[in-house]
Amino acid sequence: MTTITYPLSRIEGHARVVIDVYDNEVFRADFQAMEMRGFSHYVRGVPAEQITVIVPRICGVCSTAHQVASVKALEDVFGITPPPLASDIREVLLLGQLIQNQATSLFIFTMPDRTNASSLFELSQSEAGKAREFSLAQMALKIRKIGTDLITLAGGQFIHPIKTVIGGVSSGIKREKADQMILTIQELLPVATELVDIYWEMSMEMGDRIGSWGDDEPTHYLASTEANNYCLNSQRLRVMQPDGTEAPSFDPHDFEAYLQIAESEYSYAGVSSYMGQILRANSLARINLTESLGTPRADAYLRRFVQTFGKPAHAIMFFDLCRGIELVYALEKAQQMLEGDLEHGETEVGYAPKDGTGFGLVEAPRGPLIHRYEVENGLIKTADFVIPTVHNMLAIRRALTVAAKRYVGPEGINAELERAVGRVVRAFDPCIACATK
Amino acid sequence: METSKDLPKFAVLQLSGCSGCEVSLLNSDEWINNFQLVYMPLVVTSNKIPDDVEVLLVTGGVRTDEDIHNLRKGRSRTKKLIAVGTCALSGGVAQFKGNHIARESFLKASHRLRLPDMLPNAYPIDRFVDVDLYLPGCPPTPQLFMTALKDPENAKIAAIVCQECGRQKLNDMRPTSITGPRSGVVLPDICLVNQGYICVGTSTRGGCGALCTRPGHACVGCRGPANPYLNKEPKFVLDNLRRVFARMTDIPAEEIDAVLESPWLSLFLGQFTDYTQEADLPLRTKEKML
Ligand code: SF4
Ligand code: SF4
Repeated sequence: MTTITYPLSRIEGHARVVIDVYDNEVFRADFQAMEMRGFSHYVRGVPAEQITVIVPRICGVCSTAHQVASVKALEDVFGITPPPLASDIREVLLLGQLIQNQATSLFIFTMPDRTNASSLFELSQSEAGKAREFSLAQMALKIRKIGTDLITLAGGQFIHPIKTVIGGVSSGIKREKADQMILTIQELLPVATELVDIYWEMSMEMGDRIGSWGDDEPTHYLASTEANNYCLNSQRLRVMQPDGTEAPSFDPHDFEAYLQIAESEYSYAGVSSYMGQILRANSLARINLTESLGTPRADAYLRRFVQTFGKPAHAIMFFDLCRGIELVYALEKAQQMLEGDLEHGETEVGYAPKDGTGFGLVEAPRGPLIHRYEVENGLIKTADFVIPTVHNMLAIRRALTVAAKRYVGPEGINAELERAVGRVVRAFDPCIACATK
Repeated sequence: METSKDLPKFAVLQLSGCSGCEVSLLNSDEWINNFQLVYMPLVVTSNKIPDDVEVLLVTGGVRTDEDIHNLRKGRSRTKKLIAVGTCALSGGVAQFKGNHIARESFLKASHRLRLPDMLPNAYPIDRFVDVDLYLPGCPPTPQLFMTALKDPENAKIAAIVCQECGRQKLNDMRPTSITGPRSGVVLPDICLVNQGYICVGTSTRGGCGALCTRPGHACVGCRGPANPYLNKEPKFVLDNLRRVFARMTDIPAEEIDAVLESPWLSLFLGQFTDYTQEADLPLRTKEKML
């Protein structure tokens, strides 16, 4: 038996792919998280009200989603509901996170794969990159920075936000600040759509060149956005079945009845399934479960996507295209929300701490994220983080096996396998820090 | 435009951390025209650090044997090594301090087939290699990254956060109880301590532009204790904070102590000092601290 190990780059964290080949046949393909963050251990015994400052540090890429989920879980324990203005500001914060994340995945992580470059910076310096009127790298970082600026505006700090507090948010968003942000978005939205178009074109070319868009077996999809409301500060989990019909939705309190999460022997990340079946979360899951995003440009991209690839669409490289649709959506939606009044009105409600168990759900860029805390004597007794990347683990494994089978045959192992492995994993945009909570 | 091939090479080695430092670095695009990024697994596919690197940034703490190996290899290939962020400076959130319940449950859960084992704790990187410059912050701001890369020798860093904060300390506004730590209405322009918040900006090194306190959030001290408390036991910075609160407020001392010793503040207040308790570690001089 031959074991091939591929270290991975251009993903969050330390992970590798291991493929066992026996007699020129793929025996097993696995995706392994190589480190353990271990937050579910660190937070034991921490005063409950402080956990919202600690958990954003699970991951600097997804810190915003963790912070909001954490605050919502404590609000659930304390039995309070934040005022509508606070929910709106949290939504702007999560949109900022979505912009930052999708821009990173699209341009920094996966665009180089489209031309077999080693990085966006190399791609930008190459002939193809130089032929453009602007530097791809600099423009991509500018778009990404809108996300960071929105996080700073709505979250108070640029990486580990602090403005979302138990009961609401600590302050509104001033008109002049909102107006500045709107101007930036207006100026850069055309650049973003141009980048998304370039990305789309490059992806079509890549699909033609390779002759495949990857594992396209119908699967379950999990998201917490609604069919006609892409709200990320979400309430319920939805599931699409492989035939495209929707299964009953469920409340985060009941997640254990639907999602089975287990440890893995070969990886520091766990694996989850939906009633024993492979499932997928992240952009493609949301787009498959959506009728309309509710903003004009994004809906135009959505129509184009559905017309070209059908609904539900299953091939894994569609995850990447869907991130492009979402990037445009999040920019448009953030602008819409900032045009409203986010300055005046009640920002938070008071609370009395108490013991109990609570759940907090948000739609993070990688899918539904749930924090569950058990509070006893004001301290965290147990904490559980239900991580979107973990929902994709079985799907990643299957997609790797599909790719490995394509490139391993009687003639041996095709060198293209290494690139294929990178493309497969990056399509799911896994986050290792989170997955090893 | 000169091609990037002529520019000095810089590399980023990520040990065990949250990627927040990398995310912060990517918030600046200024370096694109000044440096050639040759290694940074988060954004570049390249399997090894070339051996003629000008500057190597190291983020994250040391958590596995593999981290130690990569760190030593990185050191041998660079002229200058910069330790970036709370994790590289102290081990970060992943150190257990006195939390034995957490340590035990973590260690029990941290073995897997064919994978590196976790070390018993998370360690600062200068326990294993020489460091030329320290850049504290959780994470450091993009501006601080640029200063570290371009001209750290001539950088003017504010001694404490208060210098950059712009809020005024008043003599006649003495709170009697803690307002926060993180909620309640914040009055503009007035020092957060006067308003009953446990802001540790008075003892925390500046350079972040008072990122948190200007919009009204108490500083949690992520840039670490100011120069007078370098290489000193945690007691010194804590005593200084106790004095500040005694001078400016009428909040009972026990209440202040409880907050100062809570996990979220001690994480940062201890980031330069915890390690002094290990005898043979190199001193971190203020010249090396950005
Ligand atoms: S103590 Fe905090 S709020 Fe007061 S001046 Fe210093 S940094 Fe600003
Ligand atoms: S104000 Fe304090 S907590 Fe905020 S970035 Fe500066 S040093 Fe860190």
